Parts: sequence; C-alpha cells; structure tokens
Amino acid sequence: MRVLLAEDDAMIGASVRHGLRQDGFTVDWVSDGRAAELALADRVHDALVLDLGLPKRTGVEVLQGMRRRGDARPVLILTARDAVADRVAGLDAGADDYMVKPFELDELAARLRALLRRSAGRAASVLVHGELTIDPATREVRRNGEPVALSAREFALLEALLARPGAILSRAQLEEKLYGWSESVESNAVEVYIHALRRKLGTGFIRNVRGVGWMVSRPVAQA
Amino acid sequence: MSTRSIRRDLLIWLLGGLLLAVAVAAVGTYFRAREEANALFDYQLKEMAASLSGAPFTAASGIAGGESGNSALVVQIWDRNGVKLYLSQPQRELPQYAQLGFTTIHTEQGAWRVFSSFDGSQVVQVAQPMSARRELAASMALRTIIPVLAALPLLALLIWFIIARGLQPLDRVAAAVARRSPVLLEPVSERGLPSEVQPLVHALNGLLDRLGIALAAQRSFIADAAHELRTPLTAVHLQAQLAERASTDDERRRALADLKAGLERATRLSEQLLTLAREEPGVIERAPVDVDLAELAREAIGELAPLAETKSIDLGLSASAKAAVMGDPQALRALVSNLVDNALRYTPSGGRVDVAVGADPDGAAMLSVRDNGPGIAPAERDRVFDRFYRGPSSGVPGSGLGLAIVKSVADRHGVTIALGEGIEGKGLGVSVRFPLPDRNQSQVGRS
Repeated sequence: MRVLLAEDDAMIGASVRHGLRQDGFTVDWVSDGRAAELALADRVHDALVLDLGLPKRTGVEVLQGMRRRGDARPVLILTARDAVADRVAGLDAGADDYMVKPFELDELAARLRALLRRSAGRAASVLVHGELTIDPATREVRRNGEPVALSAREFALLEALLARPGAILSRAQLEEKLYGWSESVESNAVEVYIHALRRKLGTGFIRNVRGVGWMVSRPVAQA
Repeated sequence: MSTRSIRRDLLIWLLGGLLLAVAVAAVGTYFRAREEANALFDYQLKEMAASLSGAPFTAASGIAGGESGNSALVVQIWDRNGVKLYLSQPQRELPQYAQLGFTTIHTEQGAWRVFSSFDGSQVVQVAQPMSARRELAASMALRTIIPVLAALPLLALLIWFIIARGLQPLDRVAAAVARRSPVLLEPVSERGLPSEVQPLVHALNGLLDRLGIALAAQRSFIADAAHELRTPLTAVHLQAQLAERASTDDERRRALADLKAGLERATRLSEQLLTLAREEPGVIERAPVDVDLAELAREAIGELAPLAETKSIDLGLSASAKAAVMGDPQALRALVSNLVDNALRYTPSGGRVDVAVGADPDGAAMLSVRDNGPGIAPAERDRVFDRFYRGPSSGVPGSGLGLAIVKSVADRHGVTIALGEGIEGKGLGVSVRFPLPDRNQSQVGRS
C-alpha cells in the first residue's frame, strides 16, 4: 500500500516515513500543502496522512480541495492541537480519522490499515482468498494453514493484487505500489517478484494477461 | 499600629474644630460681656453717686453707717475739707481720690472701679471690685457654650453616621473589587458613584483592562508554547519508538543518534522559552551595567563557531572600536547570539555571515549581522518578530522564537532594530542601534 505523508517537521516526517516503511507501507513524504496537492494529482497513493499545520496550504485546505474534486481516498489527519474544535474541523473537512501528536507508530499503521480496508469495502482484517489467508497487520500469509515466508516487496505485490481480485494490474501500476519516489525501480523487478510468489503460492494463483498485466482471479467458491 | 480611618479622622477633626470654634466663641462672648458689664456697672456707679450727692450727710450721721447697700459696692463720702462723712464698709477703706470721674485703682484686694463726683459741698465716691464684672462676663460666656457642649455627643453621633453613609460607595466598590478574579476581570460599574470615588474606580478599571490584556497574552503564549513543545516531543516520541523497534545494532545506533538530535531540539526550545519568559517586562529587573558589545559578539561567535563549521559558513567579526552600552549583559548576550544563530541557520552551506560592531555618525553603538542566505521578503519583515512565526521557506529547524527574543530584549533596552539587505544585496542584514547614552543614566551606572 502506498501512502502519501504530508508533514512539515523534518524529524517527525523522517520518523513516520521510517516507521511506516517498517510496517510494510510504501511512503512518499512531502513537507508543504502545495506539494501534497501535486502528489495527490498523480493518484498513485492509496491513502494520505496529513498534518493540519502545513505551510503554503493548510491541511484543512488540502483536504477540502481533495473532497471537492471528488477524491475519496482515505485521509488520516495528524494534529498537534488537541482541542475538540480542531479535530471536528478536520473531520468535517472530510478526514476519515485523526491522531493527536504525540502518537504511537503502531497505532498509526493499524489505523491506516483499517482505513484502507474500509475503503476497499472489507470488514474483516484478515484477507481470505481460496486456500490463502493474509493478515496485513502482521504480514502473515498462510496457505492451507501453513505459514508462507514472503519478503516485504513480495507481500506488497500480493496485497496489491488481492485488493481488487479480477482486475488486471499493469507493470507500471504494480511498480507504483512497490516503490516510493526516492527508490529506483530495478528492471524486471515485478517479474522477479511474481515468479517468487508463484513458486511459494502455486503457479495457477497469479495469472498473466499477455501485453496487459497480472491478475488474481475472483475466488470461485470460497470455503 | 492601628490603621488610619477616614471616619475616625473626620470625627476627630470635626469635633476638634467644633470645640475650637466654641472656645473662640466663648472667649469672644466673655470679652463682649465684660465690655457690656463695664458700661452697665459704670452707669450704675454713676447713678449711685448721683443719688447720694446732695444727701444730708454729716460727720456725725455717717461713719458707723455700716451695713447698708450692696456689699460689693463701697461708698465713701467726705466734705470739701476732706473730713470723712460716710463709709459704707469700714473694713474696706479705699484711698481717697481727689480725681473726679472714673478711675481704676489697684489695691491689695484687687482692682477696683471707682467713680467720684463733687457737688460743691461733698465728694461722693462709689467703688466696685472689678472681679464682679469678670464673674458676670464669665458666667455669660459659660451660658453660651453650655448648650453646645451638651449637644456635642449627639453631634458626634450624627457626624459618625453621616460619614458612614458618605463612605458607603467605597464599601460597594470594595465588595465589587473583591469579587474580581483572574477569570473575572470585567470593569467595576462607575454609575452612581460620587465624584470623589469615580476617579479611583476609573483608574482601577483601566488597570483591570490592562491586566486582562496581559493575561490573555500570557494565556495564548502558554497555549502556543505547549503546542510548539508538542512538535519536538512528538519527534522524540517517534524516534524512541524507532529505536525500540531497531533489530540490528547499526539500526539502533542510527535511531539513537536521531533521538539525541530530537532531544537537543526539544531542549533548545525549552531554553528559548525560558529566555523569553525572563524577558517578560517586570519579571527580573536588574540594574543596567556597562557592557562591551564587541566582547559580547566575540563570545557569541565563539559559541556558534562549531555550527558555522559544520555548515562551512564563513563567520567573522569586524569590531572597529570598543562599543560600550548600558544594559543587562545576559539579555544582550541572548540578543546577539540569537541574531548570529538565526543567520547561521538560514544561510545555506558555504555561505557567509558577517558580524560588525561599531558606532553610527551620532556616536550611538551599533551591531549588525548580515548574511548571504535567502533573506526575508519586505512584506514579511514585520511578522518575523512574532513568537513562533517561521518563514514560508520552512524546512529550517527553528523554534520560531529567536527573533521574538531579540525583539523583547531590544524593547527593554530601547534598541531599534532594522531589517535590510545582507551581503552584496543578498540575504538578510539586521542592524541594531543602541540609544545614545543618557547623561543621568550613565552617571547612575558609574556610581
């Protein structure tokens, strides 16, 4: 899952980015409101973590602009002001959740996962697909109850494919899910990860649509 | 020991004044009554003498005459040869006076008023002691003041209550002021107050107003400060969590280094807040002393040289002369080091910061800090002195308090600050001009 982090404080931004990466998110970090709007226009992020006290354009302005344009991606606001009025203003402007500074990295990651789950229309925290169960919180994958060891990128790829079963994702779309701005994309990386996933989860699980991309078929009869 | 009381003072002074007035009136009455008694008794003496003259007194009829008449009056009659014909009170013999008309004589028995008349055959002399007249005058004077003295307790009581009634508005004001508290600073009503109390209440309301403004400023400062402290503390909190999560030694080392940097930032902010709190007017009043500006600049540069070195900034001082100013050395050091620190923070690596100390053509001490960094747009220059304000070219870790500290130190020392261009038309130049030494003040400083 790729998350946009808008935070003007260098230390907080670096720490949150580092922490969310450890939790398996792909994170891009901007430090002012205008940069956040530019990044949102690319539509590559699944969620936005937004500090309300941003320079140039405030968090509330960014949020209102987003919702006006019909952008429904989940937004979690960070605020240093714990006055109820501030949180209400943020939620009313279109935020899905908020956290008051200082906050726990684990909780931020958990809330982000919950937001992403809800925006995908799922209620259960564990993804079940055929003989696979996937827990995004612990990043545990089990096949017929047996744990399968996946690398962070392999897990991110699997998560992206399983988010919309039946939809074909192009190489560019998958790369966007896997790499932040600052990271260089290795050539054939997507193929390498797909190959590894097929080896670990069974060859028929991920289907290649030649010239278009990859997909996971909709579970036929979920047990 | 006892506190002063307007009521008691007024009572004492009013009653004292009244008693004095009564005493003056009594003395006046006494003297006027004596004058009148004089006229009256003189007339009586004259009448008495007239009624006695021509009376058939002979030497034989008289001398033993004795007890007749007013005992206070002494009547003597003698013939033209000086032979005493009559003496009303033999035991009180007065000298024979040849002088006719009124005289006052002094004898062993006191002063006497004497009237003598001569009808051609005998001399009639009527005398009366002056004390009779004084007694009459005194009793008249006493009669005038006795009713006033009798009414005095009643009068005192009346005055006591009138004063109490007059002072009632003060009690009301006191009660209204007692109800005021830091959360309730609304003005005391000035309506219906006597004109003597109104100025006091008006001044008090002015004070309440200023107090309210100062309190509001304090509250918003504390709220801002708490908010500003939350940012570095959040960073520290996150950095500590990352250090906890670290699974390798290398990762832990890096996380702890970040944590240390975060703690340093939080510490610096709290120190800046303390400096600013110390600069609050009226918090600490130290007597101004002589301070050498060039020495202060040298100290500040020495302290900040490591920061300049890590950013490869060329930091230097040009001091033309010893620039002596009067002030609080600790505050002035904060002023200089915040200016230099600010310049170093906002100037990119490889830049230049010049500190200059000297005097302007008028002889006023000057200090300037100029850099070749991004500078401050003229439109923003007023706002940079606001607390917690950071320029839009953010990304520079700062407390937003540096220039606010500079401003409050400058205000306290009567120093004017001018923001202008930096080195070669680039960056920011801050000029600080100290007031010309006031002769009186400098003498105080020297003594």
